[in-house]
Amino acid sequence: MTDEKEPVEPEQSGEDTPQDADDTQEPADETPQEPGTADDATEAEDADKADEAEADEAGPDEAGKAEESGSKRITTPVLIGLLVALLLGISGGVAWWSAAHSEDLEAASDRDAVLVAAKQHIATLNTLDYRKVDAGLKAWTSVTTGTLKDQFSSISADDRKLLADQKKISTGKVVDAAVLEVDGASARVIASVEVEVRDGKDLSKDPSIKRNRFSADLTRSGGTWKLDTLQQVAVDLS
Amino acid sequence: MKNVKTLVLAVVAVAAIAVGVVGWWQYVDLTSAKGADNEALVSAKNTSTVQSEVSQALEKVLSYDYSDPQTTQQAAEKLLSGDARKEYDTLFAALQKQAPGQKLVLTAKVSAAGVKDLTDSKATLLVFVDQSSRRAGEDQANVSAAQLAITARKGSTGGWTITGLRPL
Repeated sequence: MTDEKEPVEPEQSGEDTPQDADDTQEPADETPQEPGTADDATEAEDADKADEAEADEAGPDEAGKAEESGSKRITTPVLIGLLVALLLGISGGVAWWSAAHSEDLEAASDRDAVLVAAKQHIATLNTLDYRKVDAGLKAWTSVTTGTLKDQFSSISADDRKLLADQKKISTGKVVDAAVLEVDGASARVIASVEVEVRDGKDLSKDPSIKRNRFSADLTRSGGTWKLDTLQQVAVDLS
Repeated sequence: MKNVKTLVLAVVAVAAIAVGVVGWWQYVDLTSAKGADNEALVSAKNTSTVQSEVSQALEKVLSYDYSDPQTTQQAAEKLLSGDARKEYDTLFAALQKQAPGQKLVLTAKVSAAGVKDLTDSKATLLVFVDQSSRRAGEDQANVSAAQLAITARKGSTGGWTITGLRPL
């Protein structure tokens, strides 16, 4: 490699002298293009370009050719690329739109939203601490709507006192629940509820555990589902 | 002019790619959301089919007459499989011993059944069952309210069988 490089260097310095040196360089150009002499080749090419720019006649012609052949070479891949991009865009847009407007997906998400709300709210309505009756009733009214809410918000001071005097701490937990029906803004669920009742008079006593079956109606207002009715499912073997 | 055209093409391409990527991302996100492949209620027909078949199966299997135990046993053979079948066999054996002496009659009725999860071949349900038991010498039947978590599987013949039965 060093052997080949040595003879080139003097030639490069010779390039500074115009025209005549140019002609002698042509054959020299071939030699550095041998494998392993890439550096020399680019150097020589650069030098050629500089020469072309100097030569006024060759300048515009060569440049025009380069641009034309350049745009021809790029056009087909660019078109394909553009087409692929557009296809991706259109298909993605359609897929997005179809998923966002899918009735099935909407029904599924409604059902799941109803279930989550029902579980929380039914547990809330089975929970009351005699030491915090007002807070408990406030929670009851916040998760209900319609007549059920009216009932809870109109609980009299006497009844509140009665709840406090019972000295019970109830904690409700929904063990399992299922949505029976969702129809627009109303829904019906069933829930299996475990209520743990502690006696406030003697907290060391084991709590009593009750298992209740509930059915509830929910109504959606302002994007949230709230309880409309809540009743125990009584045994009916008639 | 050339540069403007190139720029427009580049902007269009980048915009299309952006819409495509975001669109497909949203599609995957929406369709793979939890519960998106749960057909419960989404497919009204399949939901009511599994609801009624499981309800009927439970009523048959949980009803029992000491004078005609075969009916229950045949129903169990047809409608129960897997763990539910094994548990039922144990229960049924115990029942067979006591029932004739007590003249036991059990009657089961489903008061509510909700489908929680549903795919083409599997389902989970919450079922409320009312059961009455009457023994010889008792004036009134004993009534109990049961809450059952049910798992069911669709057989090759197309009917649903109960594979799991868990009292809550």
